[in-house]
Amino acid sequence: MSRYRSTAKTAARTYMQPMAGWWTKNPYFVRYMVREGSALLLTAYALVLLVGLWRLSQGAAAFDAWRAALASPLSVVFHAVGLVMVVYHSYTWFDVMPKTAPDQPIDPKLITGGGIAAAVAVSVLILAALLWGAP
Amino acid sequence: MEVIKVDIVVVGGGGAGLRAAIAAHVADPQLKVALVSKVVPMRSHTVAAEGGSAGVIRSDDSLANHFDDTVSGGDWLCDQDAVQYFVEHCTAEMVQLEHWGCPWSRKDDGSINVRFFGGMKVQRTWFAADKTGFHILHTLFQTSLKYPAIQRFDEFFVVDLVVEDGRVRGVLAIEIATGARFLLESKAVILCTGGAGRVYRQNTNAGIVTGDGMGMAYRHGVALRDMEFVQYHPTALAGSGILITEGCRGEGGILTNKHGYRYLQDYGLGPLDPWPRPKAMELGPRDRLSQAFWHEEQKGNTIGSPHGHVVHLDLRHLGAKKIHERLPLITEVAKTFAGINPVTHPIPVRPAAHYTMGGIASNRHTETSLAGLYVAGECSSVGIHGANRLGSNSLAEIVVFGKVAGERAAAYVRDVPEAGSRTIRQQAEAAEQRVLELMGGDRGERIATLRNEMGDSMEAGIGIFRSASGMQATCDKLAQLRERYHAGIRLDDHSLSFNTEWLTAIELGSMLEVAEAVAHSALQRKESRGAHVRLDDYQTRDDENFLKHSLATRNGDDPPHIGYAPVAITTSPPKTRSYGGAGQQVVLT
Amino acid sequence: MPIDTTTRTIEIECLRYDPQTDTEPHFSSYQVPFSDDMSVLEGLQYIKDQLDGSLTFRWSCRMAICGSCGQEVNGVPVLSCHTFLRDYFPHKLRIEPLNNFPIIRDLVIDQNDFLDKLESVKPYLVTKLEKPLAAGPHLQTPQQLNRYYAYSQCINCLLCYAACPQYGLNSDFTGPAALALLHRYNADSRDQGWQVRAEVINADAGVWGCTLVGYCSEVCPKAVDPAHAINQNKVNSAMDFFGVLKLMNKGGTE
Repeated sequence: MSRYRSTAKTAARTYMQPMAGWWTKNPYFVRYMVREGSALLLTAYALVLLVGLWRLSQGAAAFDAWRAALASPLSVVFHAVGLVMVVYHSYTWFDVMPKTAPDQPIDPKLITGGGIAAAVAVSVLILAALLWGAP
Repeated sequence: MEVIKVDIVVVGGGGAGLRAAIAAHVADPQLKVALVSKVVPMRSHTVAAEGGSAGVIRSDDSLANHFDDTVSGGDWLCDQDAVQYFVEHCTAEMVQLEHWGCPWSRKDDGSINVRFFGGMKVQRTWFAADKTGFHILHTLFQTSLKYPAIQRFDEFFVVDLVVEDGRVRGVLAIEIATGARFLLESKAVILCTGGAGRVYRQNTNAGIVTGDGMGMAYRHGVALRDMEFVQYHPTALAGSGILITEGCRGEGGILTNKHGYRYLQDYGLGPLDPWPRPKAMELGPRDRLSQAFWHEEQKGNTIGSPHGHVVHLDLRHLGAKKIHERLPLITEVAKTFAGINPVTHPIPVRPAAHYTMGGIASNRHTETSLAGLYVAGECSSVGIHGANRLGSNSLAEIVVFGKVAGERAAAYVRDVPEAGSRTIRQQAEAAEQRVLELMGGDRGERIATLRNEMGDSMEAGIGIFRSASGMQATCDKLAQLRERYHAGIRLDDHSLSFNTEWLTAIELGSMLEVAEAVAHSALQRKESRGAHVRLDDYQTRDDENFLKHSLATRNGDDPPHIGYAPVAITTSPPKTRSYGGAGQQVVLT
Repeated sequence: MPIDTTTRTIEIECLRYDPQTDTEPHFSSYQVPFSDDMSVLEGLQYIKDQLDGSLTFRWSCRMAICGSCGQEVNGVPVLSCHTFLRDYFPHKLRIEPLNNFPIIRDLVIDQNDFLDKLESVKPYLVTKLEKPLAAGPHLQTPQQLNRYYAYSQCINCLLCYAACPQYGLNSDFTGPAALALLHRYNADSRDQGWQVRAEVINADAGVWGCTLVGYCSEVCPKAVDPAHAINQNKVNSAMDFFGVLKLMNKGGTE
């Protein structure tokens, strides 16, 4: 069946509500924008690490200077905010994971919960290795 | 006024209309078929049917069983030739829906499962959980999208038929969004406009079920047949009237009064054991169950609630798994609208007006007395329901007879000469003038006032039990309401854009006429049969005088004229209609 | 749990727009007496019947199955028949038409765009050979049924479109309900139409138009989970791009 497209002379003059500021109007959308925005911080952190790698290739002095820069208050703030964002991003990543998986008889909460548990476990392991294994 | 020429106009986009449109197109793909509906097709009231659709499929069932159940269920007022055709074609239509994708519920081996409904000897009801109508409607609508040649006029409100030289020649419709009027000229019109349950105050029907098609045909001299037979569904939520499917009882649900007693055993549906058994206790027919409720209410055995007395529909013994699998909609509806979880509490229910057994008179080929006018579905009286419709026959009816109507109309239009369009146009303009005047109304009573008085009066006089004085009072009231309607109603809305108040005013006009046909047909039937039960001097069935169809025809501004026509009886002469009694216990699948 | 039928009064504010007289919408406010069992729809009906017959909205079944009465109540897309006044009291309600659609009149939106999209996903069984009726029904086990059943529950109420900012920003996006129904047929054991629907899936306006906001699944009154239908098809679409589906012989009709 196809829809008859009206040719009526009095054709309806519809009103379209504007989209401006759409994401501020619903907390769900605010969380979505933070989720997407947190990826920017992830990118920024990856760039910082890449710079470190580049500085390492330039020799010990350059690398030490990079490390010193990391200790500046601005950098500490950046890393603190980055950590929060990465944690939030990881949470949302596992939160939406069931939506991207094929249909399965598993409770979606198990997928999300399992993912988060695995991420926490790996983080703890790495942290432990760093604390006890580092020279 | 816009003019569009087509071959066939189908009015109504529910199950019957969609099936008719597809059938007409398949019968002759060259035809121009228009499907005109006041709502987008998938909003039609078919969507709310719950329990299922009949079709013989089990090896221990037979067409003769389906025929007998239908004819005895209808208290022998069915046209048996129509019933025979019907039962022979139900299963093929159910299979057709399956081939079109309908998600019928299955047994573990992948074959179709069927459930019990009231008044059936053997399980015969195909079901898709408890959303059968929803799935049938969406399957038909989505399948219809395969045929782009069928043109859909969504949200076009048909206000009148156009008739010339005794042939129907099209319809006048309002494009709701703009208020623009369209003359759809055609050689045939198929009315699939549904019932008129909204003439009652407390009913299971959607807001759109306002008898528009019945009103249109009636105004053009086509008789409304057997209108006194209005089905009260025994289990609806008090207040809203929202339907709680008969499938609940088909799955083993029981009805109890305030003492926890299964009262149906006191009303010719017992004894209790062995249970479950077909055609007994909760598996009895709808008219008997609603009547039993009324008696219990008189005896003070029902339970008080803010919206009238109720009894309990108890599903708890079925267990959470079965309830959730077979009755998910009921679970949700009971929770949302009654605050009840059926797994842990019984559902409070009472009867509510549900289905118009009568309708626009047609033969078993869906032809009416007006050449070119075909009818199918609840708006029609094709003759299969008699005095009481068997549950799950109406969904089967819409597809079986929807198809017949489509094919018959397609054959008919081949030989119809072109009409002289000038008089047609003049007629359409006159109809247009009438509805535009209605929109201009700025003094008089509010629509809701008249509508509510009509609904209350129908419930009081033409309810489950009837008496001459009560029916007469309703007839008088309706005549008075019609006068008040014509004296003028006040509309707040005079805009042409999506003016639903205007449409409601037009609907009210149809409803008042249809209500009068119901009330006068009831008053004139001096016997008790099926859903028409009298408390006065006519408490038994009278085959000698009333084994015949009533025919209400419009009589100008006077009350309708009530005539009669014979019932087609082929193989099953009238017998005593009995339920309950001895019987074999069955396993519910 | 007996229902409290005491009457209280609540304020309902409705968006009004009549294209014949207005250039942009405004709000009208009404005082509505209500009891605990009254839905938002019944509140609107009270206004229309008793206070202002020109207030315009769609409704029909009043039991959450016909999909007519979707509205934004306090900024959240809901079915008004399925939402209760008691849950907002003592605050007021602000009722607006569904977001992301053109407004025809008051609370009535233009749903034609969705209807065209629904048509575009070929929402019907596509099979290589037509099975004759005499051959009877297909076999389909409850497990096979369950693979698509949840997606067949869509009532086309359009709450998901109102909840989808991607659709609001770019109305070319096929959108949640239509894509969920597309998946419903692809996942049906009786269907062989994967390839004829692939173009819609793979298009920029197909599954790739979704950024997994996920709100569509939150507001769906029938638990259809369109976000899941769409996002699992991103995997399918990627596999299709690399030819993996053909290797797995999942293509259906050649």
